[in-house]
Amino acid sequence: MKTFGGLRIAVAVLAIIYILIPLIVVIPASFTSANYPSFPAEGFSLQWYSKILERPEFLEAFLNSAKFAALAALFSVIFGTLGALGIAKYDIPGKSYITALLTSPLSVPQLVLGIALLMYFTPMMLAGTSTGFLIAHIVICIPYVMRLVLTGLSGFDYNLERAAAILGANPLTVFMKVTLPLIGSAAISGGLFAFLTSFDNVTVSLFMVSPEMRTLPIEIFSQMQDAYNPIVASVSSVVIFISVLLIVILEKIQGVGKVFGGSHHTNG
Amino acid sequence: MEPSRSYASQEIEQQTSPIEPLKKPKIKKRKVWVPGLLLLTPILLFIFGFFVIPMLYILYLSFISTDNLGGAEAVYSLKNYTQLFSDSYYLSSLWLTVKISLYSVLVALFLGYPVALTMAKSSARIRGYITLLIVSPLLVSIVVRNFGWYLLLLPNGTINQTLMALGIIDAPLKLLFSEIGVVIGLSNAYLPFMILSIVASLYNIDPSLDKAGAILGASPFRRFFSITLPLSIPGIVSGCILVFSLSMSAYVTPALMGEPTCP
Repeated sequence: MKTFGGLRIAVAVLAIIYILIPLIVVIPASFTSANYPSFPAEGFSLQWYSKILERPEFLEAFLNSAKFAALAALFSVIFGTLGALGIAKYDIPGKSYITALLTSPLSVPQLVLGIALLMYFTPMMLAGTSTGFLIAHIVICIPYVMRLVLTGLSGFDYNLERAAAILGANPLTVFMKVTLPLIGSAAISGGLFAFLTSFDNVTVSLFMVSPEMRTLPIEIFSQMQDAYNPIVASVSSVVIFISVLLIVILEKIQGVGKVFGGSHHTNG
Repeated sequence: MEPSRSYASQEIEQQTSPIEPLKKPKIKKRKVWVPGLLLLTPILLFIFGFFVIPMLYILYLSFISTDNLGGAEAVYSLKNYTQLFSDSYYLSSLWLTVKISLYSVLVALFLGYPVALTMAKSSARIRGYITLLIVSPLLVSIVVRNFGWYLLLLPNGTINQTLMALGIIDAPLKLLFSEIGVVIGLSNAYLPFMILSIVASLYNIDPSLDKAGAILGASPFRRFFSITLPLSIPGIVSGCILVFSLSMSAYVTPALMGEPTCP
């Protein structure tokens, strides 16, 4: 009955390749010397990378993406860490409901969330503004931060805080010297995750951007809808590179798998 | 006379309680939870203001007749819903969405189950690597992944050229901008969720059941179909529901890889 196990492993390997292949082909395709994207690439040149610099809209979109992702990560980490501390440390009545509520933006399709926020923002004059964009991104980042920080807090020994307080430290010192260093790694990985989530988001962003303010995935999306151009491959490779870099850091700090443990996450 | 009886029973309980103090030594982390609520206030206000209220708002809008939208007199009606279910355009695109989502679920299930089984049977280290490999693509933007499929599925793309070189097909298949393209894109994007939810249920299976089956002489094939598969059905069901609902609500992939309209 060796064949049964062999078949299982063969399909498993095939499935993992299936998951990874769209990312794998993009990078070699970006080095093409032809005027159309293809895999395997024809020839070798870096022309499509230098072309990125000639197209200011990509650079601007990249800077926009990075700026908003950093802000969304900052705010969602502040909100999320405070909230997670409140849930983990104190016996708040109905805390499981509160946790469910705070992670619920994950289980709503992003398309619906985007439409809802757009309709809600329009009378408030927030539609198409950077404030509206930022708010929408914080909403989609908060569940990840909550989940990561709550996981990080599950092994937290509150006696350490108590010991520091008994030894005469004031609450602020306790927080800065004891609590923060211990939950710091969870908060940092929550922040990195939020950054990636915001940086990569297309669906919600589509409803929040304006012609003056576009992010990188939106720029790629509209380029792909118009015409396929090898510049999409080189820009995509840059995105993959940034993502892989952050994933490696995340994996070193806390482990990427933890965030998705049985989660209801919507993407696309 | 119900209330008085319950009071009486409560009194009895209170009287008997000192006799059994060992019953549940409930350790409370903190007696006061007001500071906790204070810590939660910013995030709760934010989620209420920018998530709960907007969701309720569109639910409310869906019941308002379009003609009067924004007008002084809003008319509550189910007109939007009757319109949705009577218009053939909406109905056919709804049916197409359901069909494509079902295909995506099937592809994800058949590819995902062996991966989940392999993860459940491997050591923690290998499981960690597999988790990293299947989860990482989720952190790369969906547009980038779709672009990768575009390269592979083009009429003169990798897959068509390989198939033609092998002599399996004569003319390039229409893979891109077709239902097949959308199914490939969706099943690829949501396969990790299927795997993770099946793995969660496979972990919960007691390994001694499989051993017992082996001792009693069952073949690996028999043990899989009589023990592992039935016990992992909850994971399969939740994975299928998850992938189906994600596919139903997907927008970006159908917009880039499909041709017909899908909501």
